[in-house]
Formats: sequence, structure tokens, C-alpha cells
Amino acid sequence: MIAGRLRFETSHATEFVDITKLVSQEVRRSGLRTGRIHLQSMHTTLGLAINENEPLLLRDFQKLLERLAPGDAGYEHDDFARRFEISIDEPVNGHAHCRQLLLTGFATLLVEEGELVLGRWQSVFAVELDGPRHRELAMQLDGDFEEKKAGDADSDLIELELARQLMVDPDPVGAPMRRLMEAGGKRLRPKLVQLASQIGPHHDALRAASLAAAVELLHNATLVHDDYVDESTHRRGRPTVAAAEGAERAIAVGDYYFAKATRLIAEIGNTGVTSTMADALEAICAAQIDDVALRGAFPGDHDSYLRVVRGKTAALFAASCASGALLSDAPPEVVEALRRFGELLGVAFQMADDMVDFSPSSGKPVGLDIRQKVLSLPLIYAAEDRSVGPEVRRLLAGSLGDEEVGRVTELVTSSDALRRVGDEARGLVDAAVRELESIELDGLRPTLVGIARSAVDRTA
Amino acid sequence: MNVQVLDRELDRLEGLWEQGLSDTYRSYLEAVGDHEPEMQPKLALAAALIEVGIRLQGLGGHAAPAATLLMGDLCLARASRLLADNATQAVQVAFAKAIEGLSTAAASGKPSRPVRELLVHALSATA
Repeated sequence: MIAGRLRFETSHATEFVDITKLVSQEVRRSGLRTGRIHLQSMHTTLGLAINENEPLLLRDFQKLLERLAPGDAGYEHDDFARRFEISIDEPVNGHAHCRQLLLTGFATLLVEEGELVLGRWQSVFAVELDGPRHRELAMQLDGDFEEKKAGDADSDLIELELARQLMVDPDPVGAPMRRLMEAGGKRLRPKLVQLASQIGPHHDALRAASLAAAVELLHNATLVHDDYVDESTHRRGRPTVAAAEGAERAIAVGDYYFAKATRLIAEIGNTGVTSTMADALEAICAAQIDDVALRGAFPGDHDSYLRVVRGKTAALFAASCASGALLSDAPPEVVEALRRFGELLGVAFQMADDMVDFSPSSGKPVGLDIRQKVLSLPLIYAAEDRSVGPEVRRLLAGSLGDEEVGRVTELVTSSDALRRVGDEARGLVDAAVRELESIELDGLRPTLVGIARSAVDRTA
Repeated sequence: MNVQVLDRELDRLEGLWEQGLSDTYRSYLEAVGDHEPEMQPKLALAAALIEVGIRLQGLGGHAAPAATLLMGDLCLARASRLLADNATQAVQVAFAKAIEGLSTAAASGKPSRPVRELLVHALSATA
């Protein structure tokens, strides 16, 4: 049995939201081969239905609901003078509750050969009756699941631990963080924690998962504040916490998960791990201040870039590797080698991330770093370039509208900058891999090397 | 207490020390008497940094501008490191829970207990 939640947004007062794809994805992700998926609405003004997704028919359904429970029929539920303990923002929605009574709040769908069993014209709908709102369906899957591959177990453990931690958090802070985490993320740092935690003589998978989850929460807490500082509107294809819920909420969410992550780390009870993570957090915050200060001298120089990136990105990579190894009581020389591996990998990762800003096939908007004046090595190299440098510097010194950003992108792409950054990132990964040569890794070297190589190969 | 002990801990925060952090620190010194003498200044400073940090950030009020928020973040991170290096596990956990409570109240738009009261209470936490 697997349990979870499906979360989505609605955008209209009455809306038939086709959740068939969403439900199918959950079935595939779960590995359920033959069985059932049960859905239950967590709201009294959200129904479930299985029917045909044909726009005119959906309008017919909407009209039917309006005829059976008109919005202006005068519902006793909306007579606030006669009700007790109503909240200040209580909506006038007697009609929506009555319409929900005509639908159902539950659905069970069959699964065969890993796919939902649906007729040709059948789609699964969540029926919004009082939107727009954030909505949630409880979900349980039972039946026969495919056997997991050995390598999947650790990743599953991280996801389970993250889900467990997020589930208990109060909604005002938990809901925005759940949305951010559900939108994706590579989970590189927790993977490094888990791998490193298998190197020493005392491997405890549950403690490692707890530390890995704390590291991921800490990373995401810093992102929530970063997005406010950078005035970013989107992350992982979704609105940032600051953009969606305001700066005040973003500050509170960041602080909550900063505190929660440090608590989870403290509760592990390993002083070396606690100190390592605390040092990293301090380095990140100091580097963020330097990063913003350097925007006055945009695009900056190579030395300043390295100083900021070592703190802003590499510190947490290094701490993830070192703390995992410390947790397993690995010898000091192994901990230090892994710390250096993580630091080199972190810098290389950031350089690769900078290159993504110039890749139209990355899925991210091109030129975002330029627009936000974020420290970026390709820009530094392009500004130093003998042929395009003068124009790049002139454009970056002025105001950066769409035209200027487009031209800078063109100049960077036409110069040698991206090749230089790519070479440098790969050189750092080679150096990181060399750090692993002198230590006993109990068969984990190929996985660590694979992670390191893939971290810099993501421009496409 | 010898403030020179804290020199390293005030790196990049010297301006804040002049602007009220020192007074906040002194007020917490009264609450750390039960801890080992060499730990007392560090713990008082950690509590003071958290109080000043969240005030700088505007937690529970109006959001601070970006640069001020980052200074607040650094205060919290410095405090976290001071606690990691000098506090018992129980005190570390109690401080984290205090910040979790303050953040939840801020996100919910609800009032919380005064920060100083919460942090003084955290300083007295035992396993």
C-alpha cells in the first residue's frame, strides 16, 4: 500500500479539472502493476467525476449544476448572522456545498499492467465548485507492485523521509515548501549524503536518510530567500514562494525550514555533522551578501566569482559529502578527501548551471542571469574577450531590456566563453575524481564519478 | 565578560554590534548563568544574534529589503554555528523550535510569545 496526496490549483469558480494525466503519473511512479487507486476529496466543495472531456458537454454539466443548485437561491448556510464561530473570510458558498452533494467525493480506479483502466471516452475530473483554490486529494494505491531495482531504494528512502517531514508541518509554511519540493529538483546533495554515509564502518540507512532530508530542506530554505532577493518570479516552472505568497511569507517559510533543518541535524546527535553543516550554512549566507555586493561591479572577475561560488554553492556540496562520511565514522583522511571532492564538484556544478542560462533547450528562460545581474562565469569570460568584450561590457553597464539581454546572449554564444567555462568545469570534475583515487570507497567510486560527470553535462 | 572572546564571532557584524547587538547580548548574559563559564558569552551572543537577525529580516512584520534580509540570515547562521559548537543538543533543539514557532506564527499572521521570552526559555533547556 502506498499513500500520498495529489495537489493542484484551480482557476475558476466552477471548473472541471481533468486530472487523468496526474493520476496516471502517480500510478507509474508508484510501480503499481495490478490493483486499485483510491481517491478522496479533502474538501466539501470539491467533487470527483468520471466522464467525457468534451468542452460543450462540460458546459452542459456546469449548467445542470447551476439549475439544480442556483447561486442565488438563498441558502441558510450563507446567513452568517445565524451561524456560530465563522471565520472572517468565510465565503458565501451554500450553492457549492449543495452542488457537491450531487456529485461524489470518492473514486476508485482499477489499474492493469501499470496503467489506469479507463474506457475510450473516460477522463477523471476533480470538479471545483468554489474556486479558485489550492486543492488536495488523498490517494492510496494497493495491489501488486513491480520489484524495485536495488539502486532505487536509497532514493525512495530520501523521498519518503522528505514527505514524512513535510507532512507534519503547519500549512502556512508547509504548503509552499511542499509545492516547491514537488516541482522537482535533482536531489544531488542528499544523494551525496547517502553515498558518503556508506563509506565508513557504521552505515545506518535511516539516520542517513534523516540527514539527507535535512540537507535538502536547508538547500530549499536558502532558495526561498534567494528568490526574494533576486526578485525571481519562477523556479522549477512554478511561481516562487515570494511571487505567489508575498515576501513576508517567503521570509517565514525560509526561516522555518532553516530552523527545522538545523533541528533535524542536531537531533542526529553527531557533533562533527552538526558543526560541518553549521559552517556550511554560515559560508552560504556570507557568500550571498558578497554576491549581492558584487552586482555593483557586474559582471565581476574570476577570483570574485570563485570566492562567491565556493560559499554559495560548493560549501553545501562539500558539507554533504563530509557529513555523510562523518555519520558513518569514516577515517579523517576519507572525510577530508570527500570534502574536497564535494567542493570541486560544487564549483563545477555552478559553472554548468551558469551555462544553462545560454541554452535554449534547457527549459529555462534564456538570459535570466543577465537580467537579474547574477554572477556568471560565461559573462565574465565574454566581457574579457578581445572581440566581443567591449560591447558586452557596454551593454551590461546600461539598463537591460529584452533587446539588450538578447544581444548579450548572442555575443556570449558567439564568443569562446561557453567553451572555456565547459572546459574549466570538466577540469574541476577531473580534479574531484582524482580526490577519490587515494581512498577506499567500498565499491562506490563508479556511482560518485557518475554523479560528478552528470552534474556538468546538463546544458541540453 | 570579556567581549574580546567574541571578536571572531562578530566578523562582518561589527556594525550591528554598535547598533544595539551589544545591548541585546548583555541582556542575555543574565540568562546563561547556569552554563559553563567559557560557554556563557557564546550562548548569550547566539541568542542575541537570533533576536537581532529576525528583527532585521522583518519576520512577522514588513519584509526587509534584500540586503538587510541577507544580513539577518547571516545572524541566524552565525548563531546556529555558535550553538553547534558550544551548546548542548537540548539547547540547540530548543532554539530551533523557538524559531520554528516564530516563523509559523509569522506565516499564519498570528501573534507569538515575545522573542526574548522564548529564547531565554530555550537557554534553560535540558535533555
